[in-house]
Amino acid sequence: MISLNLRRASSKAAGLLAILALSAVLPAFGDETCNSPYIAKLIKGQEDYVYVWTLGVEGLGDGSDKLVTVDVSPRSKNYGKVIHQVSVGSRGEAHHMGFTDDRRHIWAGGLAGSEVYVFDIAANPAKPRLVKTIADLGDKTGYIGPHTYYALPGRMLIQALSNTRDKGGVTGMALYNNKGDFIASYPMPVEGGGDGYGYDLQVNPRKNVLLTSSFTGAANYLRPLGELVKDPEAMKRFGNTMVLWDLKAMKPKKIFSVPGAPLEIRWSLKPGDNWAVTAAALTSKLWLVKQDAQGEWQAKEVATIGDPAKIPLPVDISITRDGKGLWVNTFMDGKTRYFDLSDPEAPKQTYEKQTGRQVNMISQSWDGKRVYITSSLLANWDKAGADNEQFLRGFTWDGKELKQVFEVDFTKEKLGRAHHMKLGSKALRSAYRAPDSPPKLASAR
Amino acid sequence: MTVLRFLALALAWLAAGPVSAHQTDALLPDLDYAPPAPGTYPLHRIMRAPDGPVLDVEGRVRPLSRFTRGRITLLGFIYTACRDPDGCPLAYRVFDLLKKEIEAAPALHGKVRLVTLSFDPARDTPSVMRHYGGSRIREGEGLSWYFLTTRSARDLLPLVEGFGQDVRQSVDRSSGRPVRELSHVLKVFLIDRSGYVREIYTSTFLHPRTVLSDIETLLMERD
Repeated sequence: MISLNLRRASSKAAGLLAILALSAVLPAFGDETCNSPYIAKLIKGQEDYVYVWTLGVEGLGDGSDKLVTVDVSPRSKNYGKVIHQVSVGSRGEAHHMGFTDDRRHIWAGGLAGSEVYVFDIAANPAKPRLVKTIADLGDKTGYIGPHTYYALPGRMLIQALSNTRDKGGVTGMALYNNKGDFIASYPMPVEGGGDGYGYDLQVNPRKNVLLTSSFTGAANYLRPLGELVKDPEAMKRFGNTMVLWDLKAMKPKKIFSVPGAPLEIRWSLKPGDNWAVTAAALTSKLWLVKQDAQGEWQAKEVATIGDPAKIPLPVDISITRDGKGLWVNTFMDGKTRYFDLSDPEAPKQTYEKQTGRQVNMISQSWDGKRVYITSSLLANWDKAGADNEQFLRGFTWDGKELKQVFEVDFTKEKLGRAHHMKLGSKALRSAYRAPDSPPKLASAR
Repeated sequence: MTVLRFLALALAWLAAGPVSAHQTDALLPDLDYAPPAPGTYPLHRIMRAPDGPVLDVEGRVRPLSRFTRGRITLLGFIYTACRDPDGCPLAYRVFDLLKKEIEAAPALHGKVRLVTLSFDPARDTPSVMRHYGGSRIREGEGLSWYFLTTRSARDLLPLVEGFGQDVRQSVDRSSGRPVRELSHVLKVFLIDRSGYVREIYTSTFLHPRTVLSDIETLLMERD
């Protein structure tokens, strides 16, 4: 081992350290719900667009999955309207998406198969273009159902939900470079208490840890929900674990028992905080993963969401930039709840509102003043009849009240089922302009 | 220390004048974790390092591959006017610390090189890069440190694109005109002896301890 003899501070050094300490937290300050801390160019002001990754519906429009651009700039004449859509030409249970670290591309995929679609959003942020389809995930890894797309420097780490062998929940992660070339795969642990299942993944780079959660396999998530819940054997096949990984080594360090399908993970972005929260869907509980006084990572249940006996089914969550608040959407009762996280050991619900007949994803702007909600969970889990609303709704939040300011009806617009959202900006047009060739950028925010 | 105190220090530092390579004599924050031991983890081949013509400090045209093959290479893009403390100066500081560590470790002599490549060819001429590098410019059996630039944006673009180093020219908000500041996110590339990128560091984990551990890991690999 090479020993280090790093020099210590001078007074000027203290200044630089202060700046580094400040600037180091800035990238993570932008919630934009849940972006990777490695993503450049967070939108600190008013976003111009919401991209909605949309499940196709047979007989509705072209019936295919598509990326929809909605103009959300209040100064625009198209405010609250669909301004572009790009279809992938097939229907495959469109679900989640993620930016590359340079925010030039969105990677998106469907849970029914293993295709990953790459959209260019830098050339014209209003009009994403499908530029590549990655089709080798299943062949390279044996995993299907790409779910979470998490940017690492120059790479994309993908958490899958299922596998090619039995369509069960034992799965893993796949690593690609930003050009779409496969690099490596990492199986979810099945030893030492691991159930092998996967769902979300989130990184805390300052601690060199990766945290993963667990859901279920394609055999379950593609079944009609009403049928699934009557199958006690199938209902046993949901994830009950979270895994803390050594990020650098990509090796599991500790497996936590977190019953009831822990789904979305959010690290506190507040400097000095070393904790993350998740919501367990089937038990309707909030869990905290935190270092104890000895530095050991622990997981514990810290709050209840709604009445678990009524199975509200918490789905997406969104943490505020200061780690003091958490939005929680519950699919079955269509409610959006706000929890005060001032004491993460004891979150307290301080607000709730019915925001739809079914709600799933929730994203907030950098400053927390704008909140966006979509409706769809899975094609076969969404409600039927009049309860099957499909929308993107925009709200303002003043700390006291969610006020709806626009709605896009995805059925009326013949788009499909509105699912995952990412925010866009005109100012992110074009990733590279040579210093000696003047750029033609939109006004920076 | 209060936030205001932090801000005051930050502003004072920014007001201190043009940045030079030698204004980096500063403390690095300690890592908040112990990196895994060298050789206990894989460093995958992320991508092949791109190639193209560059200029050395003498103004000679060379292929970049001359500086990314045969030795383990740590390559960072900079521009000499950079004022972002979380950008070029941080990279330079880490490179400087690594230089000292490597020079003090005979086992590493002749096995590692540092490359500082400008993405501002219009201003960072070979002579500017020579001034920027100063006494740190060296080539030899111990540690080599090269300061490179390109003839033009046309030569630079394939390299920037190939590495995935995002950079944009900032724009004055009131006039809409480009300003001297270049908007970029710090990335430093660890390249193996065969010219494959094996790690990409950002400001969140660019630290001599992590880099040295990775260099040792690569050195433990069989060719």
